[in-house]
Amino acid sequence: MSTKQTIAIIGATGNMGSGIAKSLSKSNNRLLLFAQHLDKVQTLVEEIKKGNPAAEAEAIACPTNASWEADIIILAVPYAAEKELADKIKDVANQKIVISISNPLNETYSGLTTSPDTSAAEELQKLLPNSKVIKAFNTVFAADFATPVIGGQQADAFIAGSDAAALQTVSEVVQQAGFNPIVAGELTVSRTLENMTVLLIQLTMKYNYNWVAGWKVLHN
Amino acid sequence: MYDLFFQKFNEKIALTAEEEALVKQYLTPKKLRRKQYLVQEGDVCKNICFVEKGALRAYVLDETGDEHITAFALEGWTLGDLSSFIKAEPATWNIDALEDCELVLISKQAYDELLQIMPKYETYIRLLMTDAYMALQRRTTYMISLPLEERYLAFTQMYPTLFQRVPQHMIASFMGLSAETLSRVRNRISNRK
Ligand SMILES: NC(=O)c1ccc[n+]([C@@H]2O[C@H](COP(=O)([O-])OP(=O)(O)OC[C@H]3O[C@@H](n4cnc5c(N)ncnc54)[C@H](OP(=O)(O)O)[C@@H]3O)[C@@H](O)[C@H]2O)c1
Repeated sequence: MSTKQTIAIIGATGNMGSGIAKSLSKSNNRLLLFAQHLDKVQTLVEEIKKGNPAAEAEAIACPTNASWEADIIILAVPYAAEKELADKIKDVANQKIVISISNPLNETYSGLTTSPDTSAAEELQKLLPNSKVIKAFNTVFAADFATPVIGGQQADAFIAGSDAAALQTVSEVVQQAGFNPIVAGELTVSRTLENMTVLLIQLTMKYNYNWVAGWKVLHN
Repeated sequence: MYDLFFQKFNEKIALTAEEEALVKQYLTPKKLRRKQYLVQEGDVCKNICFVEKGALRAYVLDETGDEHITAFALEGWTLGDLSSFIKAEPATWNIDALEDCELVLISKQAYDELLQIMPKYETYIRLLMTDAYMALQRRTTYMISLPLEERYLAFTQMYPTLFQRVPQHMIASFMGLSAETLSRVRNRISNRK
């Protein structure tokens, strides 16, 4: 037997949010899905249940309630919306794992808008001081959720954070989503992880990878 | 979200506003819907849980798959599989919600840290555990020494709100009786009067 985890996905209808939701609905998780346009969330729920009638996924109209009920919260919104949402979920996210997936890209995707001595994840941790912020999923593309194995290789997905138990839990979630989890280090390592995505985006545009691309560390 | 938790805490040992704010940093607010599990047998019970609103029960399954209720928790009560929580070993209890619940969870890490940094938290836990132990002692004594009618009356006095709140077959299970036996016991008591 295994106790079901409840995962709230805030921004569930986006490219990333819907990819994460569809992948995680296939494992032992209960999903609470939120986005501002509730009709789109409902459509996503129907789509998930059509593919897998046993999936536990539900549209929920309030990010605070979703996060209150959740064990794990995934913020899958644009970086610019994170402050507003952090204010809404701060109290109910106390002591909980909050996954930061964002890359604060500039308009031309050539760099980040955050200063070099911080990262989106560290900024989120400042907004949610009593939550366990973990960086994950930011180094993979949304389309990779449908094909986490690319050219015969399972894409790596890097994770950063400072709480050992939370890193373990998030590694399992990343694995359930189909990727090979690699814990990269403390939350400050998010600076590197967010920049790795800038490079991956630039390579993707230059060499026409068609947005199905990822990192793989070769090692013995 | 934490009103009842701090009310009960302050009944045991009074906290200043600053101390309350400190404890709050370590608490996990959590909603659980009816029939959802806090923990299932075989998983580690990662949290001790305080009920702000709603009701929980703990049960074990025997070889034939029958449920035996080992504990309940209503508003203001604390529940967890303590051995699993303290030793980080697989839980033998299943704990699920009988009603929609608002809970206050304390993880093992938060529990250990609070015990380290805050003598008043240690006092609170000592008093909580002492109360729980005394209740367990009374319950065990009733279970093994009292005739059924007296046992039933002693349990109703010990848990008055519980008996109004949960279905009779669960009370029977909690007392180690079949539902039929419990109903016979209740009939005999009402015929006495
Ligand atoms: N796309 C990728 O391949 C990729 C890869 C790695 C990381 N990321 C990161 O993932 C995050 C999401 O990217 P995306 O491409 O999935 O974006 P997207 O497709 O635009 O989706 C954004 C989601 O957030 C919701 N949303 C927007 N503003 C909101 C607000 N103020 N409050 C609540 N919800 C809001 C949107 O739905 P409503 O408008 O209905 O609210 C939608 O569900 C970004 O931080 C991005 O950096 C993206």
